[in-house]
Amino acid sequence: MAWKKVRWPAILLAAFLGGMLLMSAAAARERACIPFHLKTEDGKIINPLTGENADQPYSPRQTCGPCHNYDEITKGYHFQQGWDVIKDDFGIAKGNPWVLSDGMLGKF
Amino acid sequence: MFEWVAVGPTDPKNIGQPGCGGCHPGGGGLEFDRDGKRYDQRLKEDPSLAQSLDGDYYKSKWDKSGVVEADCLICHLPGYNFPERNKQLKMWNFKWASTAASGIGQVVGLVKEGQEPRVFYNRRLFNEDGKIVLDLAYPPPSENCNFCHGISDAKKRGFSWNDRRNFDVHNSRGMSCADCHPAIEDPKLKITRIQHQFAKGDENVSSVRDDLDNTIMTCKDCHYQGYMGAPRPAHLSVRPNHLEKLACEVCHIPQLHIAGGEGFDVTTGAMVNYPTMNLHDPAKSPKRIGDYFSWHPRFAHLKRGQLAPVNVLLGVFYTNLDKDGIHYPLFGRENKKAYEKAKDQLKPADPMKPEIHTPEQIKIILTALSETLQGSKRFQQIKPYYHKGGMSYHLDDKGEVVAAVDHTWAAHMEGFNINHNVAPTGLALGAGGCGDCHSTEAHMFKGQIVTSLFGPTGKPDTISSGRLFGCQPWAFYLNQFHQLYLTPYVSLLMLVLVFGLVLHYTGQGPKVADFYGAPTEITWFPLSERWTHLFRMGSFLILAFTGYIFFFNNITLLQMSFGTPQMAVIIHWVVGLIFLAASVISFGIWGKYARFEPYDKEWLAKHGGYLGGKEVEVPAGRMNAGQKIFFWLTTILTVIMGVTGVALIFKTDLPLTLSCLMSTIHGFFAVIFVAAIIAHAYLGTIANPGTWRILVDGKVSRNWAKKHHSVWYKEYVKEEEDKNPEA
Repeated sequence: MAWKKVRWPAILLAAFLGGMLLMSAAAARERACIPFHLKTEDGKIINPLTGENADQPYSPRQTCGPCHNYDEITKGYHFQQGWDVIKDDFGIAKGNPWVLSDGMLGKF
Repeated sequence: MFEWVAVGPTDPKNIGQPGCGGCHPGGGGLEFDRDGKRYDQRLKEDPSLAQSLDGDYYKSKWDKSGVVEADCLICHLPGYNFPERNKQLKMWNFKWASTAASGIGQVVGLVKEGQEPRVFYNRRLFNEDGKIVLDLAYPPPSENCNFCHGISDAKKRGFSWNDRRNFDVHNSRGMSCADCHPAIEDPKLKITRIQHQFAKGDENVSSVRDDLDNTIMTCKDCHYQGYMGAPRPAHLSVRPNHLEKLACEVCHIPQLHIAGGEGFDVTTGAMVNYPTMNLHDPAKSPKRIGDYFSWHPRFAHLKRGQLAPVNVLLGVFYTNLDKDGIHYPLFGRENKKAYEKAKDQLKPADPMKPEIHTPEQIKIILTALSETLQGSKRFQQIKPYYHKGGMSYHLDDKGEVVAAVDHTWAAHMEGFNINHNVAPTGLALGAGGCGDCHSTEAHMFKGQIVTSLFGPTGKPDTISSGRLFGCQPWAFYLNQFHQLYLTPYVSLLMLVLVFGLVLHYTGQGPKVADFYGAPTEITWFPLSERWTHLFRMGSFLILAFTGYIFFFNNITLLQMSFGTPQMAVIIHWVVGLIFLAASVISFGIWGKYARFEPYDKEWLAKHGGYLGGKEVEVPAGRMNAGQKIFFWLTTILTVIMGVTGVALIFKTDLPLTLSCLMSTIHGFFAVIFVAAIIAHAYLGTIANPGTWRILVDGKVSRNWAKKHHSVWYKEYVKEEEDKNPEA
């Protein structure tokens, strides 16, 4: 008898909570990154709440690298900007000896 | 390299502006030296490198500043503080830059001032377990791309994004940079998404990663496949050859609304930028690149052959012609030193903008440069050149200025492609009709384009836009005749002609001849002649129909009649070739009858009996004088139409000026041709009832032949009698 009285409110409450849970899950999926530890360039964890290495700058290589292939990512042009092909004789063949690469680091 | 990362103004107003390192996200050359070793670690191991002439370490403090690792957050963190990053880099806080600019921590202390920076993290961003929670964006928001591209591309091509005044129709539909420039995933190129190589178009000027050219989806790709709901263009009023010859951007980016770069001058040793100029009212020229200012681009042929809008940065700069025959660009410090020497003699109104343009000024600066470069270990020969507006200047052995057309690399005039800030369809060129480009007021041909920042008079040199892409002014005005006078009035002229024929018919009446009922009919037109005439007539009707629609550029009617405008064009020239072939045959058949004879004078004197309302006898051979005139007229017109028409088949390969000339001649004489044929049709039908029957069975009555072609008839009868004396 008692269950009958609370049945519908309980179902509604369960549906509401379930919906909230799903929305949270959906929101979490939309984030590009889950929560993560910042790390110093030595790979040590930075924890401002405990004060652990909390005065050090974070290192993108050490922080993002464990999940994302930092070395592979930085092969992209935006990171190299010609540095990966730079050499002293780069432009000689084209008659532009002052040109050292085809990117912003080395071109005229 | 160390200096390169940190370079840039450090005054409070400009410290947030990016220097060289600002627009480099880190990694690569900002992390590793040319030997692939981390700068900070190597310098710690060997501090003497900072005193060496190694360009990677010369006077560097990598051991204190740290290196600039790839800053993921510069692209992926909405709200990233780009000016803060620039400030950190300029103050040598390389490894602290990302922490400070991302806002996850505050950085106190500047390496440049001998301090060791400390970080104070924003603890609100951290969970209890010490993990940070950042709302990173994938793909990156356009605002972050704009940190760098907003600045560099504004100068190159008047680009801005998220800018309501310099709007972009794709931007207004919510598209972001990454929608068109995603990370490339292409097994053929051996590139994976993780490598962060972004799709690009085919930049006209830049040499950057040409191997990635055209990895971006084209306008056509999206708008024919419906990518992201891109609408399929109808182009109902656009001629097919325009779609072939013009890049989409020509019509769809008619104007930019922020000032780009018109050019730059390095005379002072600094890069002095000149924003897009207001030629109509120089006093209202924008003061800086990026200021709101509406301007029309210039047009240039791309490598793929299409015309496209571009922005040429007109360079005013200096080289030294060395013994190896190569023009070497001079360093800014060399220019600066020479300018300091010459400044007192030059007496520029604005010391930051000397705008050297007179032979005297050129002589002064080149002399100063010669003196400055003396003893330079860079060159085996000192021969400085001044490059400006497509001309080069140098001093001869006597120290006098020699001017010549600049054929060196310094004179390159390729422009930066303009392909952003796309206008809505209603604002595209052509939405307002052909006049959007072909009127005398339109920018396309008559707009003025700067070719030299300061010409011989000190004012900018300009040239008409059309001339730049190959249309001579006279060809443009000839085309104007077509646009302004021929097209609007051709229908009226035809109506006037028909009205005149109606007046003739009602006033003079038809020529009545006893066409039927004769006891013995004569075959006037044998089958070969009837077919020749039929082919010529039929093909002419198709040519006139298609040509008339071309005249008014009514693409809808072309589609209704021929499926596609392209098909109509093909039909027009294929049928044109058939008409030409039929005309050659008809010339072979009837040419011999078209020679003028003495008795034709009488026919002409009596107007062939077509005027006066009375039936008169006029002598005529197989062709009367009027027909002979018509024959020769149409022969000449056929030659003109044939020559121009065949040339226009290859229109897309013709120089623009020749194409304009051919089109105008073709259109003008087509009108005369059609008028002549209408008159011919009138005389061959209702003006001479029954005559049309000749086209059906080729037969005429003897009375008709005797009346209309008396001389020929006499010869015919004589010949008949000679063959059969008894009859």
